[in-house]
Amino acid sequence: MKQEIRTFIFDELIFVAEPENFSDDDDLLEAGLDSMGIMRLIMYIEEQFAVTLPDSEIDPDNVNSFNALEKWVLQHKK
Amino acid sequence: MSPILSPFLRQCTQSPDNIAFVEEDLSLTYAEFQTQIHKISTALKNKQIQTQCIAIALDRGILAASCIYSVLYAGGIYLPLDMKTPATRLSFIINDAQPAFIIGLGEPPTWLENSALWLDINELLQSDAQILSPVPVQTDSLAAILYTSGSTGNPKGIALSHQALSNFSTWASQTFELNPQDRIASLAPFHFDLSIFDLFSSLAVGASVYFIPAKFSFSPSRLTIWLSENKISTWYTVPSLLSFIALKGALDSTDLSHLKRLLFAGEVFPTDYLIKLANLLPEVELYNLYGPTETNVCCYWAVKREQLDPQQSIPIGQAAANAQLSIDALTGELQVQSLNNFSGYWQQGKLQPVEQTRYATGDKVSLNTQGEYCYHGRLDRMLKCSGYRVEPAEIEHCINQLAGIAQCAVVGIKDSTSGQRPAALVVLNAGASLGDTIKPLRQLLPAYMQPYKFLSVNTLPVLSNGKTDYQTIESLFKT
Repeated sequence: MKQEIRTFIFDELIFVAEPENFSDDDDLLEAGLDSMGIMRLIMYIEEQFAVTLPDSEIDPDNVNSFNALEKWVLQHKK
Repeated sequence: MSPILSPFLRQCTQSPDNIAFVEEDLSLTYAEFQTQIHKISTALKNKQIQTQCIAIALDRGILAASCIYSVLYAGGIYLPLDMKTPATRLSFIINDAQPAFIIGLGEPPTWLENSALWLDINELLQSDAQILSPVPVQTDSLAAILYTSGSTGNPKGIALSHQALSNFSTWASQTFELNPQDRIASLAPFHFDLSIFDLFSSLAVGASVYFIPAKFSFSPSRLTIWLSENKISTWYTVPSLLSFIALKGALDSTDLSHLKRLLFAGEVFPTDYLIKLANLLPEVELYNLYGPTETNVCCYWAVKREQLDPQQSIPIGQAAANAQLSIDALTGELQVQSLNNFSGYWQQGKLQPVEQTRYATGDKVSLNTQGEYCYHGRLDRMLKCSGYRVEPAEIEHCINQLAGIAQCAVVGIKDSTSGQRPAALVVLNAGASLGDTIKPLRQLLPAYMQPYKFLSVNTLPVLSNGKTDYQTIESLFKT
């Protein structure tokens, strides 16, 4: 799952010069992920992984790194 | 006296105990805000800043708002800096604007070459407040300079007069029937023209301005809860954020009974998201405001819910603020004559006045059968990214400065949520790697101007006349 989210973010949302050197803990918001990017990312994740991410949990802490995203999505994956 | 300050001063006399600003736990009444202005403007007056440009290096909030009012009070011109923009771009703006002073917090920042320009706001606030009346100005005296992306490759300053600001501000407070009970949410940074409404239309009528904490732009449902808890009645923002809220803001379970109106501008609101928002907020008036910074709002459309069709973009409506609109018969370009119009571009520390009173927007428009103006995109290459206008030439200028780049071309790729996003096609010098080459770009351009995709090719596609073939370049990014 993390790999698919990585591909989506780097292909569609932000550009980083060397994606292979972008760690799972690096800050995505600092790298340029903005509120519109977060919206598209959530829509992608919900569709791709058949999960519903509660509106109330959309927060920088849950989306600011690949590890945070994975943890958040797994909490809601049946 | 300045037509922007006089309605505010009337409110200070009539209702000094009304709340002017709220920022987190801090709130200021009109009287307290005025005292703060007296302190800062006393210090500024002693520095003879009349008709001079004063840059403000503070984030959106009460302190920055106090500085803006104080600069106007002392007869100066305020220039709000985007504190999120990279240092190199800030240095360019300072060198171009040549402000007499820069007001900030604490020690001068490292990017500032001449630290003698720096004034610490805390020191200004130490001055003994004298009850002063504002320095008299002419209505055509300049009040503000807002820097935006420039088609020549560098940022450019749009200079607005006291009359231009007050013409818009008065029109807005009357049209949207603002009153002292209104609570106006503010999220727009002060270098963005949406802030003119937040700063001036509000205080002209005795309403209260509530600064939205920046972190909430990433948390739509917390933002709507904040709107609810603070009993916000009015908010002027960008469509992309309203889309985010319509989709993910838990609007169906949040009590927004105090919300009377939402105004939006900066980009086209995708109709399907607007329908969602309109359905979730059936009682709220919605307004589509339109206009480049040079004209501020020159056209507006009160959303007619029954007219919304997901297959069609919404109109920009009818003339606003007594603007006279016309359409160039040949090109379809919208032209605007209005008291809102800018005075000229600010370059090398002075005003380059506009020669024509009619401003050609570069936007293609037409009239629909109801006599409403409809927007059909740009006649030039300008992009709209998350509400900001972005000139591809400015991005190209920065990319071309990078070692390893032979040529580049920037185009806009349509995005369902944020209008357009810049993408760059580059030709690298022999031996250069794409990753290493473009790394420094983050230090040159703000986030909303960063290309989200790069492609490297051997030569740029050109048309038979030798010009860059932007259409072909766009198609390369779509495959």
